[in-house]
Amino acid sequence: MNVRAFPYLLLPHLWASRNRARRRERGDFARGVLFGGIALIVFAALVQGSYWLTGHLLDYEELGDYLLRIGLSWLFLTFLSFLAFSGIVTALSTFFLADDLRLLVASPVATRRLFHARFFRTVVQASWMVVIFVVPILIGIGWARCAGPRFYLTAVATVVPFAVIPVAAGTVVTLLLVNTFPARRARDILMLMGLLFAASLVVVLRFIRPEQLLRVESLPDLTDFFATLQSPITPLLPSFWAGETLFASLAGGADVTHAAALWTTALASVVLVGAANERWYFSGYSRSQEAPKARFTHFRALDSVARALPLSTVRRQLLVKDLKIFLRDVSQWSQLLLLMALVLLYLYNFSVLDLQRIPYMSGYIKNVYAFVNLGMAGFVMATVAVRFVFPAVSSEGSAFWIIRTSPLSLRDFLWSKFWTGLVPVLALTEMLTVAANQFLGIDPLLKAMSAIAIVLMSFALVGLATGLGARYPRFGADPSQAAGSYGGVAFMVQAVLFIIVIIALVGWPSSVYLLHQMRRAPFTPAQQLLMPVSLLAAVGVSLFVWLASMRSGVRALEGMG
Amino acid sequence: MIAIENLVKQYGRFTAVDGVSLEVPPGEIHGFLGPNGAGKTTTLRMIAGLLKPTGGRVLVNGHDIATEPELAKQSLGFIPDRPFIYEKLTGGEFLRFHGGLYGLGEPEIGDRVREMLELFELSRWEHELVESFSHGMKQRLVMCAAFLHRPRAVVVDEPMVGLDPRGARLIKDVFRRMAERGVAILMSTHTLEVAQEMCDRISIILKGQIIARGTVPEIRAMGDGHDDHLTAVFLKLTGGSGLQEIDEVVG
Repeated sequence: MNVRAFPYLLLPHLWASRNRARRRERGDFARGVLFGGIALIVFAALVQGSYWLTGHLLDYEELGDYLLRIGLSWLFLTFLSFLAFSGIVTALSTFFLADDLRLLVASPVATRRLFHARFFRTVVQASWMVVIFVVPILIGIGWARCAGPRFYLTAVATVVPFAVIPVAAGTVVTLLLVNTFPARRARDILMLMGLLFAASLVVVLRFIRPEQLLRVESLPDLTDFFATLQSPITPLLPSFWAGETLFASLAGGADVTHAAALWTTALASVVLVGAANERWYFSGYSRSQEAPKARFTHFRALDSVARALPLSTVRRQLLVKDLKIFLRDVSQWSQLLLLMALVLLYLYNFSVLDLQRIPYMSGYIKNVYAFVNLGMAGFVMATVAVRFVFPAVSSEGSAFWIIRTSPLSLRDFLWSKFWTGLVPVLALTEMLTVAANQFLGIDPLLKAMSAIAIVLMSFALVGLATGLGARYPRFGADPSQAAGSYGGVAFMVQAVLFIIVIIALVGWPSSVYLLHQMRRAPFTPAQQLLMPVSLLAAVGVSLFVWLASMRSGVRALEGMG
Repeated sequence: MIAIENLVKQYGRFTAVDGVSLEVPPGEIHGFLGPNGAGKTTTLRMIAGLLKPTGGRVLVNGHDIATEPELAKQSLGFIPDRPFIYEKLTGGEFLRFHGGLYGLGEPEIGDRVREMLELFELSRWEHELVESFSHGMKQRLVMCAAFLHRPRAVVVDEPMVGLDPRGARLIKDVFRRMAERGVAILMSTHTLEVAQEMCDRISIILKGQIIARGTVPEIRAMGDGHDDHLTAVFLKLTGGSGLQEIDEVVG
């Protein structure tokens, strides 16, 4: 038998990428330009930021060096925890849930070869985002310190084993999890773990109260300050080894001990994980094939509430179906919970701000914040809409034939999707805006204007998302990935433009009103004419976006082949 | 040859396969029948090495799937009920990759791929992406892959689903030819006419246990003797909806 090395198992992915590149889909170019542009801006900002910071640290000579050294260890420490968690989640997918495993496990491929191919994929998939962040930061540091090519080579030789170690640890955790719970259940557990991890990080950051650092009287003495910075950096962690290796290279030397520690640990972890995999992989994979025992909530309360709503039977059934599917899919609502945690944090920030003690926070500027807040609520709305409302039609997936063959009109179907999306989006963003404006203590008229603007924006953005979702459905794809499709990107671009237009149309008359209040000056005749026109234009634009998007969505569904 | 001895699969307290033993000698087409949820697919997936049995043993051409998995799988062709195919590969690329997995050498793969594509009437589609294939074409492509490495035993789950009459005829002919050349074929199907037409022997599984086994005439003899078709025997052995119940539902 002609046994091929493990990279052979990666070939289908390479061939598939090549074929995808050859056969471009509609919107690929626009998507590439948009995402490429954003990536370039972020890359340049990171290079510039780390260059600027390192340059400033140079001014403090030894203290600057010391801070840079600690900074490198902190940087890698942050990425270490991220990589370990990402490794667990990615390994679950690549080793146990990927569809092509049904083909590969049934073929005469040795477990060890399969492990090497899958582990390679896991490392790449779990660490690409970290690498993308680390590269510009290290380029900025190297640039500021005029480092030679040796520094950049050392950086490559450091980042590779640094990524392997936490991903190997994550893979072992996954192996244990899958051998304990069925894989699909393990995925639910991981989703919740990730959510709790992110939420607790937010809460911890909040309770550290970074705003206190800005008060001179609350600063600790210098020794305490450095002791605090040093405390989580243990010499036993790979993040410390990576930081030390890079710092030595930056200073023109070579830290062979820490580089060797990185490489030997990385290689040893691959060997050990490979051995564990050989022993427990098949039993874990076999368990992952077993359908998880149906454990779900019947949501009887939901049925009762739906019955009480003044809806037709068809709309009620559609609503109940959509809500039950959403609530039973942990990966769907867990992301919403995370967003809620961030929103609460946002509100908490406003509640702890003692605006009266900030001298430059005059009445005018404070009220301008109402529009910053409106913009923020608009972006939250657009994000929620692209993630949850835009895929509403696509989420019907291969079951869409049920709708198409039923005596339900596609217009009713799409409007049902609209109302199902509108209620939570409106409730969430209205609550966010009203509460934040209350904490800020802004003018009552502006509060009312903001509340009305949110209603208009909700109708328009949910309508836009529903309509575009119907025009560019992706029935075969995972609904969570629809946001990155051509339609999803088109929605985001149009939503951002719409938010800017609405803020301008509502903001201008409001600012004129505020100035009038402060200076006690009368309105000019032009202002008296244009202020209501501007507000009416905001209403008109919102209504147009809402209704035109829905109509175009219905037409697209009706014209579907 | 495929041999399973006392095969058991339990999911928690539920026993999906309960002590199944079976032998398919070279050259035999063995039908594996049973109602939905009887344990057919679970049994076939254990033979293919996708599921770990709770008990019992699977031998493929003398190799134990648990202790010599690579050797056992090397001589086995598996056609699952819901096969995975890389949608973004062309038919030819998929087959070449598959051949490589089963250890076919580079010069041999090209010829063999063309041969199989021709046999299954897919030559025209060699350079087209799999995502553009119809269900029946995908089914035939999977058959190409399963026979590519000249297996000595084949396990196939529901081979006729989605095939047009011409495709079904083709598959039946291929299976017969393979059996004539000494390939052992274990085939699960719900189409009793197919089983009756093609199988040398049949096993009927119910609630994880084999309840009947024999040649087609032997199985037919287990019925009341008035019906030439297997349907009546199948319903008698496995239990089916009576006409009275159907009348009640239809109204």
